[in-house]
Amino acid sequence: MFQFDTLSLIFVALIFFAAIPNIFYSLGYLPHIKRKSYYVIHYFAFIFSMIGVVLSANGLVFLFFWEIMSLASWQLILTEPKEKSVIDAARFYFFMTHFGFIFLLLFFLIVSNGDLEISFTQMHSIASIFPYPTILFFFLILGFLSKAGVVPVHVWLPYAHPAAPSPASALMSGVMLKVALYGLFRFLFDVLYPWPLEWGTFILIIGSITSLVGILYAMAEHDIKALLANSSIENIGIILIAFGMGMIFDTLHMEILSTFSFIAAMFHIFNHMGFKSLLFMGAGAILHQTHTKNLEKYGGLIKLMPVTAFTFLFAAMSITALPPSNGFLSEWMIFQSMLSSSNITNDMSLKLAIPFAIFALAMTGGLAIATFIKAYGISFLGIHRSSNAKHAKEVNFFMQIGMILMMFFIISLMLFAPQFLKFFDSLFVDLGLPSVYMRIFPEDMFSIHSVGVHGGVVSPLILLAALFGITLLLVVAYKVLNVKERIYHTWGCGYKTSAKTQYTSTGFSGVMRRFFNWLYQPEECFYKQNLAGHETKFLDASYEVKIKPLFERTIYDGLKKGINTISYWVYRLAHFEQTRYPAMIFNLMLFILFSYRIFTHEVSWESLMIESIMMLISMKILVIGEKK
Amino acid sequence: MIYYFGTIVMLVLLAPILLSYIKAVKMVLLFKRPISLFQGYRNFSKLMQKETIISEETSAITRWAPFFILSPLVLILFFLPPVTQGSYYVSFVDAFTITGLISLSTFFLMLLGLDSASAFGGMGSSRESFISALVEPAMVLTIFSVSLMAGNLGIGQAGVNLAEHFPQEHMASFLFAGISFFILLIAENGRIPVDNPETHLELTMVHEAMTLDLTGVYLAIIESAASIKFIIFASLFASLFFPFGYRLEPVEAILFFIIKLFIIATIVAILEVNTAKLRLFKIPNLLGLSIVFAFLSLITFYVLGA
Repeated sequence: MFQFDTLSLIFVALIFFAAIPNIFYSLGYLPHIKRKSYYVIHYFAFIFSMIGVVLSANGLVFLFFWEIMSLASWQLILTEPKEKSVIDAARFYFFMTHFGFIFLLLFFLIVSNGDLEISFTQMHSIASIFPYPTILFFFLILGFLSKAGVVPVHVWLPYAHPAAPSPASALMSGVMLKVALYGLFRFLFDVLYPWPLEWGTFILIIGSITSLVGILYAMAEHDIKALLANSSIENIGIILIAFGMGMIFDTLHMEILSTFSFIAAMFHIFNHMGFKSLLFMGAGAILHQTHTKNLEKYGGLIKLMPVTAFTFLFAAMSITALPPSNGFLSEWMIFQSMLSSSNITNDMSLKLAIPFAIFALAMTGGLAIATFIKAYGISFLGIHRSSNAKHAKEVNFFMQIGMILMMFFIISLMLFAPQFLKFFDSLFVDLGLPSVYMRIFPEDMFSIHSVGVHGGVVSPLILLAALFGITLLLVVAYKVLNVKERIYHTWGCGYKTSAKTQYTSTGFSGVMRRFFNWLYQPEECFYKQNLAGHETKFLDASYEVKIKPLFERTIYDGLKKGINTISYWVYRLAHFEQTRYPAMIFNLMLFILFSYRIFTHEVSWESLMIESIMMLISMKILVIGEKK
Repeated sequence: MIYYFGTIVMLVLLAPILLSYIKAVKMVLLFKRPISLFQGYRNFSKLMQKETIISEETSAITRWAPFFILSPLVLILFFLPPVTQGSYYVSFVDAFTITGLISLSTFFLMLLGLDSASAFGGMGSSRESFISALVEPAMVLTIFSVSLMAGNLGIGQAGVNLAEHFPQEHMASFLFAGISFFILLIAENGRIPVDNPETHLELTMVHEAMTLDLTGVYLAIIESAASIKFIIFASLFASLFFPFGYRLEPVEAILFFIIKLFIIATIVAILEVNTAKLRLFKIPNLLGLSIVFAFLSLITFYVLGA
C-alpha cells in the first residue's frame, strides 16, 4: 500500500521542509481567518494527502490521495469566499483538476488491466506490451502537467493560487506543483521506462514554451500573488527543460549526463519550493497589512516592514538566478547539461530544439530580473502609494519566524549544495542510473563541476566569499573616508516629490507591454478630464490596463463557444414542435437502414458518401427546416 | 601571478582613461578641443571630496546598493582570460557565471533607481530592465557559442585555446558571434545607438536616470562601475574575438592588448559620432539582430559544424 523508496522519501523531505516554516506562518496568519477550524482541517488534510500521494505504492491509493489533495486545496481556496472572483477561481480549479484526473484514471485503468491494486513494477510489464505507449505518455502529460500548470493547461493557475489564503498559496505553489511533477517522474521511471527520443524532445519544448509564457505574463501582472503564480509556471517550465534533457540523454545512452540533468531538475524543484514559498509568505504579509493585492497600492514598505522586505529581497535574488544564490546554482547546472549536448550528432530535431531551449532559458532569466525588480521595487521602495501602505506595520512574531526559517532553508540549499546533490544522486542511483557525485565534486566540496567534456565549474562558496570580501573592503574604505552626509529630499525638477510622481507598476512594465503587444493584446481604459479644451492639460486622468491571457481567449473561450453551440442544437432538437417528430423518426430509420451495412461488411466509400449526403439533406429539409 | 594581478590593476587603472579616450576621440571628430585622457580621474577625485546627499525618501537600499553594484564587476576582472603567456588565470569560470555577476550588478542598479521615489529613477529602471532582458539571451548564446568553438566552457581557458589554436574551421559561426557580441558591448554599456551617456534629457536617459539622485562617493562608485563594465566587455571582446598577440613576450603582449582595447574604443567612438540614438522602441530591433546573430552562430556550429 505504501512504499518508502528514495524517490518517495525525497519528496516527503520536500513536503516537510516546506510545511514546517509554513505551519509557523499559518499560526501567525490564523487570527485573521474567520473560519478557523475550517481552515485548519483542510490545511492539515492537504499536507497529509500530499504525503500520502508521494508514499503510495499502488494506483488506488495514489488516486485516492490525489483526489483528497485536489479537494482539500479546492476547499482552501474557498476559505474566504467573499468575492465572486474567488468562487469563479475555485470553480475553474475544480474543473481543471478533474479534467486531469480523468486522464490519470484512464492511464491507471490501462496499465493495470483494471486491477488498481497491483504495484507499479507490475504495471511496467503490462505497459511494455501495450501497443501504443505514446498514448499512455500523453495521458500522463495531460493528467499531471495540467496540475503542474504547463502551457496550454496553465490558465487556471494564476486565478486559483492567489485566491487561497497566503500560507495555502505558498503550499500550493511551492509543493503541490512538485507533487504533480513527482507523479510524472514516478510513472515515467517505473511504468513507461524505455522512452523514445520524441518524448524527451516534447518535454523539452513544452518546458521552454512554458517558461517563456509564464514569465511574460508574470511581467505584465499587477496582482502580486498572481505575479508569483505566473512565475511558478515559469519555474515549472525550467524544471521540465532539465527533465527533458535528462530523458533525451537517457535515450541516447549518455547516462552520466542524464543523471546530471535529472539532479539539476531535482535541485531546482527544491530551490523553487524554497523561494516561492518565501515569496508567497512575503506577499501574504504585505496583503495582510495593506488589505490589497494590487501592486499599485504599495510602496515604501521597506521602512515599515524590514524583516519582510529583507527576506523578500533574498528570495527575489534567488529566483532571478543571481550568483551565488541557490537558484543560480540549479540554473547553472541546467545550462551546463544543455551545453554538454554539443556532441549529439545524429538528430537534427535535437540540434534545433536544444539551442531554442538555451535561448528560452536565458530569455527567461532576463525577464525574471525585470519581473522581480518590479515586484520588489514597486512594493517595497519609494513612497507609499496609498493610505493602506502608509499604515502597514511589521507582521507578528510567528509570521516572521516562518519567513526567517524559510530563508535559512534557502541559505542552506546554497551553502550545503554538495550534501543536497549527494542526496539527489542517491535517488537516481536507486532508479538504476550511474552515480555522478564523484564527477560533480572530483576534488573538493567547494566547486561544482559539470560532467560534460570540458564543462564549466562554479564554486558558490568562493563566489560568495569573494563578493563578501570585496564589498567589505569597499564599505571599510567608505567608512575610513568618513564622508559627510546630508539628508534632503529627492530632486523633483522643482515639483514636490510625492507618491504620484513615482513610476507605477503599469508604467514599469509599459515598455515590455508595448514590445510584446502581439502576445498581451491589452485592453486599455484611458480617461482624462481636459482643461479648457487643451489636449495636453488635464485635471484628472486615469489609465488602466487589463490583460486576458492569450490562451484563455483562444482555446478556452473557443471551447466554451463550441460547447454552447452544440448545447443550443441539442436544446432545439429536444424542444421541436411535435409535427417534426415523425420527420425525426423517419431520419432515425434511414440512419439505422444505412448503418446496417456496416454489420454486414458491405461498406464502400461511395455508398457511405451518398448515404450521408442523403441523411444530411433529409435532416436539413425535414427536421431543421427553414431558418426563421 | 605577478602578471595576473598586474593585469587586473592595469585594467582598473585603464578603465576611466578608456572612457575619456572615447569622449576625446568624439570631440576631435566633431572639431572640438578634446578633453584630457585623465578627465575620468579628475571627476573621480572631485566626487570623492564632495559630501553625499541622501534623499529622505530612500531606504537602506541606497546606502548599500552602490557597493553591490561595484563588487560583482570587480570580481569579474579576476575571471577574465589571460593577456599574456605564463600568466596565471582562473580557467574554469564560465559564461553563465559572468553574465550572472553582471546581472547582479544591474539588479542593484535598478533597485537603486526605484528607491529614490523620483519619476526619473523609475523610468531608468524600467528601460534598463527591458534592455537587459533582451541582452541576456544574446549574451549567453554568444559566449557559449564561442566557448564551444574554443572547446572549453570556462572563459579563461577558452581565451587561451582560441589564442593557441584559432578556429578557422568555424569561421562562420565565429563571425556571427563577433557581430552579436559587439552589439552587446554597445547595448550593455549604454553607448550611443542604445543610450547616450552624455545627456540628461528624460527622453533619452537610461543609465543616467537611475543614478540621478546620487552624488559624492556614491556617484563615484557608480561611475567607476560603469567604466569597469566597459573595460570588461572590451577586454572580453579583445581576447575572445581578436585572440592575437598572446604568444608575444609578456610586456609586448600586454602593450599589444592595450592597443587592442584602444582600437575597440576608437571603433565605438566612430560609431557613436556617425549614428543617432535610437528611439527606445527601436532598440529591440538592434538587440533582436544581436539575438538572431547569436542564434545563427550557435545553430551554424551545431548543425553545419562551420
